[in-house]
Amino acid sequence: MKLDEVNLCDLDIWEQRVPHEMFALLRQEAPVFWHKEPQGGPGFWAVTKYADVVHVSKHPKIFSSWRGGTNIFDLPAEELAQVRMMMVNMDPPQHTKYRRLVSHGFTPRRIAELEPHVRELARQIVDQIAGKGECDFVTEVAAELPLQVIAELLGIPLGDRHLVFEWSNRLIGFDDPEFQTSMEDGKRAAAEMWAYAHTLAEKRKRDPRNDLVSRLVHSEVDGERLSELEFDFFFLLLAVAGNETTRNLISGGMLALFEHPEQKDKLLAHPELLPTAVEEMLRWVSPVICFRRTATTDTEIRGQRIREGDKVVIFYISANRDEEVFEHPDRFDIARSPNDHLAFGIGEHYCLGANLARMEIRVMFEEILRRLPDIELAGAPRRLRSNFISGIKSMPVRFTPERRRVAARA
Amino acid sequence: MKIVIDYDLCEGNAVCMKVAPEVFVVGEDDRARLLIANPPEELRAKVELAVKRCPRQALSIVD
Repeated sequence: MKLDEVNLCDLDIWEQRVPHEMFALLRQEAPVFWHKEPQGGPGFWAVTKYADVVHVSKHPKIFSSWRGGTNIFDLPAEELAQVRMMMVNMDPPQHTKYRRLVSHGFTPRRIAELEPHVRELARQIVDQIAGKGECDFVTEVAAELPLQVIAELLGIPLGDRHLVFEWSNRLIGFDDPEFQTSMEDGKRAAAEMWAYAHTLAEKRKRDPRNDLVSRLVHSEVDGERLSELEFDFFFLLLAVAGNETTRNLISGGMLALFEHPEQKDKLLAHPELLPTAVEEMLRWVSPVICFRRTATTDTEIRGQRIREGDKVVIFYISANRDEEVFEHPDRFDIARSPNDHLAFGIGEHYCLGANLARMEIRVMFEEILRRLPDIELAGAPRRLRSNFISGIKSMPVRFTPERRRVAARA
Repeated sequence: MKIVIDYDLCEGNAVCMKVAPEVFVVGEDDRARLLIANPPEELRAKVELAVKRCPRQALSIVD
């Protein structure tokens, strides 16, 4: 493969696999690579080395999330103005203020308090499939836990939670025809979600509970309540970010175990390795492939001149396979230590839900491996057509059906 | 060795406390605090690791 064959925007490739060979070539020969945008756009710098991804992440004043948003492609001015209401597209000090509104809900202590309840949810999810002997792992297992948990944190009643799942699919799958026929449908999904969020917000204004929606409708930034639009985008960000990424990590982590049966056996024999296994799944899958920044001034990365206004795209999925940081980076090793992967990013925008995600993933795998130890792939997994989210849409699995627990107890 | 904690960034992930328990503690308020004001040089390697590992990059050594 040669540099002029690199095309990180070819979604046909991403639908088949992660183009790790392109990233390996870029890290080796052009770590800060000017990448054209064949479908239109001025082009971008593809940043693929670990140290450079850290550098860009740690300097939000030079590499802005706000100026051009965080998607590779440029948005029309009106849409850019809208997405700037989401924390992910803000810079400090504004970002810091908004993040503080919700960050207390995601601290390690708060997450530890949630664990027994999350475990019960995970148990119920496995209960639903354990007797069947086969299922679609993505929709019936991986999607369920993050969906239930974020819906609960937000304060969405049990019966309405699958609405969030559907909206989330339609919003994030903008490149995938199966989830959405057009950008238009994504906008409709957002509108439906917001209409729902408004109703919920009105209820919580009158009758506050211990949930994030109640907190958001009663909180202030610089002495002012959140505007309706700000609330809408907060809700959308939490609902989608807390949902899609964890689902894809659980599916991708399961697939990695299927593809490395000796590692799966090792984990079954040594369940105490699960915490390092979770970190390795995060490094291996990197559910968020990349985020974009925009240079606010002329600068340099690894000696490469970057001009003000240039798009800079940091590829976490490549940093996590950087040969300079990880020994045998293409080896899936559930005991890997140290493992300072960047799956959650680093610095100002470090994933707010990282502690929650880690706990959900660990608890979900504890349940799966304990009760369905011989779970295996029963057909080809289908990948999401996206160069932003590394996701799996469906993955048939089979396992020895669990004997009914009631019967076993009797 | 002098250490600065940026409280605009610190969110109590407690990574520093795991890496250098002699130096950092995360309290009930989910904020990191220093156990010793000026940690001795022999702890430098540990503190540097804490600085590097802090997910929010809230720590720095100013000497």
